[in-house]
Amino acid sequence: MEVFLPIAQVFINPIEILLLSAIVGVLSGLFGVGGGFLMTPFLIFLGVPPAYAVANEANNILATSVSGSTTHYLKNTLDYKMGFMIVIGGTIGTALGIYTFTYFKGIGKIDTVISLAYMYILAIIGTLMLVESLREIDREKRNLVVKKKLHVHYWIHGLPLRMRFPKSKLYESIFTPILIGLLVGFIAAIMGIGGAFILVPAMIYIIKMPTRLVPGTSLFVTIFVSVIVTFLHSFNYGSIDLLLVLMLVIGSIVGVQVGQKLGEKIDSSGLRALLAILLLVVGIAIAYDTFFAEQIQKEIISVSNSDLNFFSTFIIEFSKDMPFFYGLFSIMFAIFLGVAAAFIRRFVSNFKKKMLLQS
Amino acid sequence: MHLSNIKIINKIIEAKAAIIKTGIFMSLAAYWGVILVGTFITFN
Repeated sequence: MEVFLPIAQVFINPIEILLLSAIVGVLSGLFGVGGGFLMTPFLIFLGVPPAYAVANEANNILATSVSGSTTHYLKNTLDYKMGFMIVIGGTIGTALGIYTFTYFKGIGKIDTVISLAYMYILAIIGTLMLVESLREIDREKRNLVVKKKLHVHYWIHGLPLRMRFPKSKLYESIFTPILIGLLVGFIAAIMGIGGAFILVPAMIYIIKMPTRLVPGTSLFVTIFVSVIVTFLHSFNYGSIDLLLVLMLVIGSIVGVQVGQKLGEKIDSSGLRALLAILLLVVGIAIAYDTFFAEQIQKEIISVSNSDLNFFSTFIIEFSKDMPFFYGLFSIMFAIFLGVAAAFIRRFVSNFKKKMLLQS
Repeated sequence: MHLSNIKIINKIIEAKAAIIKTGIFMSLAAYWGVILVGTFITFN
């Protein structure tokens, strides 16, 4: 069974998309990493053009981060002031990223740039993760305890314009979160990822925020960054395909819940090396696709508008006639799905508690 | 006799760990080599 994506203009198997996004969601929930840097390459392998994969994955990240952030809002584990500072940098970074994206799209090299960016990011993260997890396994075998310094100062801590962040109990230069946001926004715009793999370590080791506030604040920042990325991609290139977004969101939200439950039951530190190997394998697959398989002519299927169903025709006409409102609708659609998922999760959790109390 | 056996076993374990570490290091070096050479060829 294959479904035609009206905006991306490709046929895809919805079961494959649902399964893959669920698997990536499980990995995200299990290891606490964002799924963007795995899901976008998978979409490219399934035949979705890279520029469309980036835009639609950004919209999917918006839904999942809204869902996660609502949960943290209800738990009061968010530092809004710090979050807004990172968002300021993120907005500038996203604008720069979209400008770069437009430049490479203009010279017809955007697909190669996205593939290369993914290849290097996956290679760097995979290598660092593999080395770290092997060291950890080695330390556990030898029963070694590593003493860490309480405070490490970098040049970034000497920046001017310091401000108090009462929730995190920090007195920090406003340039530190802005610079981090700038980097995250730039990468998010080009690669369609949330940027949590940069944001979370930066918040812990550079900004030195309390660990309990980090996941919520990171998700809060991701909402704004992915809103801007989604809107700019939708408005400039009309590349958001609501049908694909719906499949991605359903798969990943279910997967994340399963992953989080699994993470509570099993020790994932040993599995981290396996995730690192998976990242390296995906990286080398992209390398093969970019360096060796580039010459293979991909089959272009043209489908006339008369062959499409009502829903597909509506999406195409809506995105072409009203790109501004289509962009806004894509954002509202993802936010609605994210909030609905958070409330369903809360309802199921309360229902389970009631059932346990009754029994 | 017993002590020397333990020493031999420890040496074997250490050698095995060293071989695994070298293997991983060589694989990572080859991996990065492919990526860097591929990028270089693509841009030339």
